[in-house]
Amino acid sequence: MTDLAERRGLDDTVVYQPAEDSGLLAEAAIAEAGGRVLEVGTGSGWVAAQIADERGLEVVGSDLNPHAARQAGERSVEAVVADLLSPFRADAFDTICFNPPYLPTDPDNEWDDWMEHALSGGETGRELIEPFLADVGRVLAPAGVVLLLVSSLTGYDEVLALVDNAGFDHEVVDEESFPFETLTVLALRR
Amino acid sequence: MKDSLMDVVCCPLDKADLELDADERNETEVLSGTLTCTECGETYPIEDGIPNLLPPDMRDEAAA
Repeated sequence: MTDLAERRGLDDTVVYQPAEDSGLLAEAAIAEAGGRVLEVGTGSGWVAAQIADERGLEVVGSDLNPHAARQAGERSVEAVVADLLSPFRADAFDTICFNPPYLPTDPDNEWDDWMEHALSGGETGRELIEPFLADVGRVLAPAGVVLLLVSSLTGYDEVLALVDNAGFDHEVVDEESFPFETLTVLALRR
Repeated sequence: MKDSLMDVVCCPLDKADLELDADERNETEVLSGTLTCTECGETYPIEDGIPNLLPPDMRDEAAA
């Protein structure tokens, strides 16, 4: 096996690959996105690449996981290794998408690898949603939109309360029910 | 990374401007180099065309 093939094989086991939630977010983002786009927690970069291809927009994809950033880069997404929104300038993006790691996870059962970072939202399922919503108003341009995927497992009403606290109005742009959860894409505007 | 990324990134610690120092480029992108904060002087590596803008403590943890 070549080094490149080995590296790709490794990346696939440590990077979240597109699933139902990705499809739902991509569909909503293709419809709603405009201007300069950021996808936070881009993972494989699939959603970001869909937006870039379908809408011809400039899309930046950020992820905590360097393996994910590399996969996103291979999909021609402008990739950055970052912690949520911390290295982005004020008012930098017109559209910000986020499919957060949202599974509520018992601290005793955390398994501490890249896949856990991609899936686990801590005890409440909201451990990444909270800091994201607290900072997204800084990075979003004045007339911009945030597209946030919310699972019923994460507590829909609790997330709406955080959205409200952050000073955003919300609108449901897409929703789909599965046996164990309902996934909703919210568009947040000021 | 493309040069245009400079319009949207800043230092994750103090949100100040970054200065790009490219070691290696192709026609469209910076392949390797360094981003340096103009305020606190912290440096962030660009490797294989991807800037690592994690705060230093998280970067060290991720590398371990």
